[in-house]
Amino acid sequence: MINLLTGIDSTSSALDAERIRMDVIAENIANANVTKDVDGKPYQRQEVVFESMLRAQQDSDAPDAGSQTVQIARVQRDARPPRMVYNPGHPDANAQGMVAMPNINIHEEMVDMIASSRSYEANLAVVKNARAMAMQALSIGRHS
Amino acid sequence: MIDALFTDSDYVATKKMLDVTLLRHQAIASNLANVETPNYKRLDVSPSFEAQLRQAVAGRDSSEIASLQPALAVDNNAISGRADGNTVQLETEMLKLNQNTVENTLETQLVSGSLARLRLAITGKG
Repeated sequence: MINLLTGIDSTSSALDAERIRMDVIAENIANANVTKDVDGKPYQRQEVVFESMLRAQQDSDAPDAGSQTVQIARVQRDARPPRMVYNPGHPDANAQGMVAMPNINIHEEMVDMIASSRSYEANLAVVKNARAMAMQALSIGRHS
Repeated sequence: MIDALFTDSDYVATKKMLDVTLLRHQAIASNLANVETPNYKRLDVSPSFEAQLRQAVAGRDSSEIASLQPALAVDNNAISGRADGNTVQLETEMLKLNQNTVENTLETQLVSGSLARLRLAITGKG
């Protein structure tokens, strides 16, 4: 199959990966105050792990070092201990009146979210440029 | 003799450079996709190709220019300023992306210009 938009494989994989990362960040922010997750313990922060993958070479005259796509290797739990907050009135408070809150730092999540949306934008710019180049290639030799 | 119009070394070199801009775009797409992948090393068109093309263009040898194959290679000159070993820098890549697109515009116009001149020579009107 001919590929009019060069590099679209890499870009689309990155857009997918950033979307998932954004979903995970949204989940973290939404659960920032959940003291009882499905396992009965406070919610634990999740984070995505990116890994690159060599694009499968379809054509024989393809270059040696092929371009790479990106994918989410796994979504892992952040092992940091829960945040202990003194709140004796809380139903989940222990004998000392301390409540185990999720190990989420809202500022950290916001920074991650901005980084994620910036890479998303960068990848969109790549598609835009690929499209411009394709349109120019299609207009070669056209009567001006 | 019409053959000579399409085997002119400048014309062949421009076509080759068009291929190069597409390949470089692919490298930049890969670099920007992996901007946050730990230990990813940035790709670019291999520097040996540039040297070969320069030599072939200087010799004005069309068949040699046409036989050259640009390839992607890991850019060893890029230094990692980050703790995760990744050598991609977002700003540099964005600049290269735009520069590459402008280069592509220039080359498509050169090719179109050659064809327009050929048409002018045949028909006597643009």
